[in-house]
Amino acid sequence: MKKEVPLAILFIVALIYIVANYFTGIELLDIAKDRLDDWYLSVDAVVRAIGLVNLAQIHGRRVANKREGYGYSIWLMVCMFGMLFASLFWFQGTTHTGWDFMYKMIISPMNATVYSTLVFYIGSAAYRSFRVRSPEAGILLVVAFIMMLGRVPLGAMLLGGNQAFATAADWLLRVPNSAGMRGIQIGAALGGIATALRIMLGIERSYLGGTGD
Amino acid sequence: MWEKMANIDRRVIYALMILVIALALLNPIGLSIIPSDATIDAYDYIEAMPNGSTVWFGMEFSSGGIPELMPAAQAIIRQGFKKDFKFVACGMWAQAGDMADMAFNFVATEFPEKEYGVDWVNIGYKPGGEVLLPALINDVSDAAKGQDHYQNKLSSLPLMSQFKSLKDADLLIIFCTGTPGEQQYIKHVTGPHNMPLIESCISVSVPGIMPFVQSGQIKALIAGMKGAAEYEVLVEHPSTAMAGMDAQSFSHGLILVFMIIGNIGYFATRNKKG
Repeated sequence: MKKEVPLAILFIVALIYIVANYFTGIELLDIAKDRLDDWYLSVDAVVRAIGLVNLAQIHGRRVANKREGYGYSIWLMVCMFGMLFASLFWFQGTTHTGWDFMYKMIISPMNATVYSTLVFYIGSAAYRSFRVRSPEAGILLVVAFIMMLGRVPLGAMLLGGNQAFATAADWLLRVPNSAGMRGIQIGAALGGIATALRIMLGIERSYLGGTGD
Repeated sequence: MWEKMANIDRRVIYALMILVIALALLNPIGLSIIPSDATIDAYDYIEAMPNGSTVWFGMEFSSGGIPELMPAAQAIIRQGFKKDFKFVACGMWAQAGDMADMAFNFVATEFPEKEYGVDWVNIGYKPGGEVLLPALINDVSDAAKGQDHYQNKLSSLPLMSQFKSLKDADLLIIFCTGTPGEQQYIKHVTGPHNMPLIESCISVSVPGIMPFVQSGQIKALIAGMKGAAEYEVLVEHPSTAMAGMDAQSFSHGLILVFMIIGNIGYFATRNKKG
């Protein structure tokens, strides 16, 4: 019964949600879907709280055992709980000077910095990985050349204003890329449906805990 | 020498990259930017909309996306304000309110007659991820808990008296760096309710979004900083994206030079190793 009841609840709720998404305009189903969406928000909030506890446990253990790099764990917890408690007891909403400072002067520049540093990794990785070790790698290199010149004005400048690189890059994006992407996305969606069905029908039970037996 | 060419220290690459980008940003040479068909489609679609239309701005990005997405947002606001559009901005990303604040307050200085609450509203970040979207379809005020980003009551803002549901928007324009993003909008809003969607995305997302553009689920795509720079050309207001394209051009050029050097070194040393 410990597993049958949750499985039955899951099956019924999932069925209602699927039907409500496919057959819109039926009042009872719409109300059920809205209610389930509200529940999702509550569950989402609880999941974040679990994440917070989980992170605190993992990094707390690192600090207690003085594992390598434990200083970073201390800093993580100072920032995590600092922002949490400041938001709960001190910052009165997004217009508060403290909140504004934390977001605009600390989080925003750090976020932008982390993202900006990618260019250096990409530059270094491109230099090391785009070697013509095989015909396939050769094709990859040619495509990279076309894309990198076609997506910036430099390509046209090198050809005296001719848009050949841009046209070729556009074709690569629209035709071979879209064909491949569509296949990947449809495949991933089918995989998602299969996994959802396995969970709904009780074939996949590992999320219930234990070994799934 | 060939060995050195095949194994350049990454610090040399980093240093040259900083130099090239800094020089291009400090001394832009203004490489000519020719708008692509995709960007022209977005511009034409917005231009063809009646004056006074209401546009939803989905600010689905954080600070990391500013260089690529903010110029497009500001260019569209400029175009929209000229056509007396009304904008309602909101987002599923935690920095959505700050991003909208940055976009609108920057452009609003050029349009002193435009007024917050009348011409635009910044609802800001609202939690919940993708379930926020069906909630916004049902009732914007309820989904936003009745408050905007600045803690004003939505009921006190004149624009919100006409904007009760996401379905009241004539067009949705979203600015995305990842998930949640266009797939959630297509699934919950534009697909079921047959609403037009235009997207501005970062360059790395373009390959994954192309199938949605081809299927018509996204009416037009402003692709990365290049698209934003092209949009600045179309609205005849050069700004940060056009300046950034010089830096991007030369950084691409530098990477290509290193790729050529690396391959020359690789071929010259391959037989020795063999």
